Amino acid sequence: MGVHPFVICWLIFAGPLWAAIGAGWLSRVYHRKGLERASARFVGGLGGGAFGPVFLVPVHFLTPDLRKWQWKAGTGAALVLELFLLFALLQPQNLCVTNANYVVNQILNGLSIGFIYALMGVGLTLIYSVQGIVNFAHGQFYMLGGYISYYFLNSVGDVNPLLGIPIAGLFTAILGGLFERLFLRPMHLGRVERPSEYAILMTFGFGFLLEYTTLGVVGPFPKMVTQPYVNLPRLEIFHFLILPNRWVAGCVGVVLFLALIYFLYRTWWGKALRAVSMNKMAASIAGINPLSMNTAAFSIGTLLVGMAGAALIPIFSWVPGVGAKASTRCYVVTVLGGLGSVPGALLGGLILGVVEALGAGCYPDPTKGAAYRDVFGLIVFALVLLLKPTGLFGRKV
Amino acid sequence: MLEVRDVHKHFGGLQALAGVSFTLQEGELVGLIGPNGAGKTTLTNVITGLLKPTKGQVWFGGERIDGLAPYEIAMRGLGRTFQVTRAFRRMRVLENMLVPALAIHGRGHIKSLRRKALEVLEFLTIDHLAKEFARSLSGGQQKLLELGRLLMLDPKLLILDEPFAGVHPKLREAIYRFIFQVNEEGKAFIVISHDMDSIFTLSRRIIVLNCGQVIADGDPLSVKEDPLVIEAYLGEEKNEPGSTRAEEASFA
Amino acid sequence: MKGRAVQLAVIMFVVLFLGLLPFALGGQPYYLEVMTSAFFYAVLTSSWSFLAGLAGQFSFGHMAFAGLGAYTSGLLCRYLGVSPLYGILAAIVVTTLFGFGVGILCLRLRGAYLALFTIALSEILRIIVLTEHQFTEGNRGLLLPPLYSGITHVGQYYVTLVLLLVILGLLWWLARSRFGIFLRAIREDEEAAAALGVNTVRYKVSVFVLTSVIAGLAGAIFYHLVGIVTPEIMQLLQMSLIIAFAVIGGLESPIAAAFGAILCRILLETLRGFTIFGVHIELGVWRYAVFGLLLVLTLRFAQNGLFYPIIDYLFMRPARREAVAKRKQEVEDVRG
Repeated sequence: MGVHPFVICWLIFAGPLWAAIGAGWLSRVYHRKGLERASARFVGGLGGGAFGPVFLVPVHFLTPDLRKWQWKAGTGAALVLELFLLFALLQPQNLCVTNANYVVNQILNGLSIGFIYALMGVGLTLIYSVQGIVNFAHGQFYMLGGYISYYFLNSVGDVNPLLGIPIAGLFTAILGGLFERLFLRPMHLGRVERPSEYAILMTFGFGFLLEYTTLGVVGPFPKMVTQPYVNLPRLEIFHFLILPNRWVAGCVGVVLFLALIYFLYRTWWGKALRAVSMNKMAASIAGINPLSMNTAAFSIGTLLVGMAGAALIPIFSWVPGVGAKASTRCYVVTVLGGLGSVPGALLGGLILGVVEALGAGCYPDPTKGAAYRDVFGLIVFALVLLLKPTGLFGRKV
Repeated sequence: MLEVRDVHKHFGGLQALAGVSFTLQEGELVGLIGPNGAGKTTLTNVITGLLKPTKGQVWFGGERIDGLAPYEIAMRGLGRTFQVTRAFRRMRVLENMLVPALAIHGRGHIKSLRRKALEVLEFLTIDHLAKEFARSLSGGQQKLLELGRLLMLDPKLLILDEPFAGVHPKLREAIYRFIFQVNEEGKAFIVISHDMDSIFTLSRRIIVLNCGQVIADGDPLSVKEDPLVIEAYLGEEKNEPGSTRAEEASFA
Repeated sequence: MKGRAVQLAVIMFVVLFLGLLPFALGGQPYYLEVMTSAFFYAVLTSSWSFLAGLAGQFSFGHMAFAGLGAYTSGLLCRYLGVSPLYGILAAIVVTTLFGFGVGILCLRLRGAYLALFTIALSEILRIIVLTEHQFTEGNRGLLLPPLYSGITHVGQYYVTLVLLLVILGLLWWLARSRFGIFLRAIREDEEAAAALGVNTVRYKVSVFVLTSVIAGLAGAIFYHLVGIVTPEIMQLLQMSLIIAFAVIGGLESPIAAAFGAILCRILLETLRGFTIFGVHIELGVWRYAVFGLLLVLTLRFAQNGLFYPIIDYLFMRPARREAVAKRKQEVEDVRG
C-alpha cells in the first residue's frame, strides 16, 4: 500500500506544514499592519492548511478583514472537505466513505450526546464568565450527579430515570455552593497570596478529593442504571438509526439549556449574573453583590453539570473515573466555544460530539477508534488553544 | 540619540499615532504632555518595543530599534516606568533592584551589584527596606523602588510614565531630586505627566501631543502660549470616542 | 554567620540520616522500596514546584514527561537491545526535544490555559501509549531491564537518593542564582521583566526544558528499578499526587517540596493499614481521599505549605532578623 500521490502533493503544497507557516506568517503580517492578529492566525492556519501558499500570498497583499465569519467558516469548511477527500482516497474501503448512511448515523449519534456535552460545558463557561476561574473539578460534579441519581433510583424503585435528574442537580448545586463559599470566597476577598494559582490548585484539589472519596464510598465496580428512559432500544426513521434513549438525554440537555437561557435573560438573578460577568465593578455599584453572584454562578454551574451526569447514567456505566474524562470534555467544549460564551458552549458541545463520533466511527481499526475517542476531541482542543485560544465566540483573553 | 521618525500606529480602525517625529539629544530632559487619549502611553509603548509601529521608525543610539523585542531595547539602555507601579511584589526590594542589574551585567559580581543597588536605594532613602517584600511597601515607596530599579538598568534614556500621579508633595520633592541628579549625570529623560507644575518646573523642553500628533515642541514659555496647545487643553467640547479608546487600547 | 552554621549542620544531619537509614531499617526490602519510591516522588515534586511555584508555570504534563522518559528507555531497550544506560541517555534527548517543543508552544499560554493545554497533551500521550499496545504492551506493562545486573534493594535506594540529592542541589543553586531571580521576576510580571532587560522567552523555555528533562530522567531511572511501567503513571491521579505533595510541602521551595513528598509518600504507604489504640484500620483507596482533603485544607489554611515555614525559619529567618535588628538600631540612632 503505497501512499497516494495526492496525499504527498497535499502535504507539500498545503497541509499541516503550511497551516503552521500560514498561522505565523499572517499573524505577523497583520500585526505589523496594526490589524487584529488573532483572526489572522486562525484563518492563516486554516487557509494555509487548505490551500497553502495559493491562499496565503494574495491575502498577504490584499489583507482583507479576516474577522468576518465567512473567512473562518469558508477556510474551515474547505479544510474539512479536503481532509475528508484525503481520507476517502487513503481508505476507500472504510465505512465512512462507502456508506453515507453510516456517516449520518454517526453524526446523529454525536449530536445527541453533543447536547449533553453542551450542558456540561455551559456550566463551566458560566462560572468562568462570572468568577474568572476555570473549575477543574467540574467533571467530578458530573460524576457525583450520576451517582446520586443512581442511588436515588435504586432506593425509590421502578421509576423513570428522569426523576433522578432534579434530585442529583439539587445535591450538586448545594455542594458546589458550599465549596465556593468556604474555599473560593477568600480568594475573592483578597485574603489569598496567589489568587490565580489558588483557583487552579483549589478546584483541582477538590476534584481529586471528590473522586477518591466517591471511590471509597461506591467501590471500584461499575454501576449501571437498568431502567431506560423509554422501552425502545433503537428506532429506524428513514433508514437512519436513532437511539431513543440517547435522544431523550439529548432533549433533556436542550430543555435545560433553554431553561438556562430563559433564566439568564428573563430573571433578575440571571441578569445580575450577566451584569457581573460583564463588569464586576459596575454591577457592584448598581447594588449587586459580586460575592453572592460568584456563589450563585458556581451553584448553577454545578447544578447543570450534575444534571447532565444524572441524564447520562441510564446510558453509560459509571465509575468514579468518569469525572476526570468529563472534566476534559468540558474544557474542550468551553475552549472551543469560547470561555464565557453560552452559545459558544452549545456549538462547542455539538462539534465535540460530532468529532468524537466521526473520529471513533471512521478510524480504520474500530477497537482502536473507540479507544481514541477522547483523543480526537483533545487534538482539536490543543489546536484551538494554539491557534485561537478565545475559541469561536469568546471574549479577548 | 533618540529619533522618532514619522511613527504611525493603527489599532484596527483606530489611529492612535498619526505621524509623530522628534529627536532627543543625549542628556536632554524633555516633558511630554497632552490631553487624555493623545497617545502618550502608546508612543511610549512603541518606543520601548511593547508595540510595533504601523509605519515609521524609531532609532536609538544610531541603531534602528522598532521591531526589536522589549528586552533587547532595554538592554540597549532605554528604560521606562509604568503608570501603575509594577514592582515584583513577591520579591524583596533588593531583588527587585538586582533583576535589571543582572540582566545587563551578565554573570557580574553579585556583591558589587548588591552594593550598587544599596547605594541607589540609599539615594532614594529607602535602603532600610532592602530586605522587605515589595508588596509591603507603601505606594510612594513603590514608586521610588520603580525609579531605582530603572536606574539599575544603567539606561541612557529614562521614560517616566506619570511619575507624579497620586504622589504627595514631599515625595514629589524626592522624585524631582532623583530626576535632576540623574539628569546631571548625563542621562536623558522623557517625563510624561498631567501635572503641569511639575513638568514646567522640570523641563527645558516640552513636547505636546494631541490626537496622535505633535502639535508643539519647544521651551516651556512658548508652549504655554501656543494657541494650538491652549485649544487642545481648553478647546471645544469634543469628546471623540476614538481618542479615549486609543489610550485604552494602548494598555492592551 | 551563625545562621550559616546551623544550615550546614541541618543539611549534613539530614544527608547522613538518609544515607545510613538502610542499615537502621535492617535492609528490609519493603521499607527500602517505599523509601526508593519516596525519593522518586521527591524528585518529581521538587522539580514541579520549581516550574510551578518558582517560575509560575502550572504545567500538568510533568508525569507525562516522566512516562515519556520511562517508555523511551524501555522501548529502546526492548527493540534495540541496548543497555539501560543508552536508554536513559535517549530518554534525556527525547524529553529535551519534547520539552523544548512544548515549551515553545506554551509561551503564549498563561495560567489556566497552560494547565488545560498540558492536561490535553498528557492525556493524548497516555491514550496513545495505552492503545498502541502492540508496541508498548499497554496496560499489561512494558518490562524494563534492571539498571545494572545484580542490583539490590539497597542499591536502588542509594541510586534514587543520590539522584534526589543531586537534583535538589541543582535546583537550590539555580533558585538562588540569577536564573532563579529572573524566573521569579517573570512570574511576577512578565512585561515589566522584559522592560528591564530579561529575555523572557529564553528563560521560560529553559525552565520548562530543564524540569521536563529532570522528570524524564527520574522516570527512566526509577522504572528501570521497578522493572515495569504502565500508562497508568501518566494518569491524572499521579499528577494530582505530585501537586498535593508540592502544596503540602511548600510551593515556593524545591527543598520543602521534596521533604513534603518524602513524608507524604511514607504517610501514603502507612495509611494503607495501621493500628491505632489497638484498632486496626485498613484505608485502602481512602488514603487518596485523605490526601485530597489534606491538599484542600493546606491550600486553604497554610498557603505556603506545611514544611515551608520550617525551612523558612532555619534558612531565611536569620537574614531577616539581621535586617530587623539593623532597622531597630537605625531608629535608635535617629532618636538618640
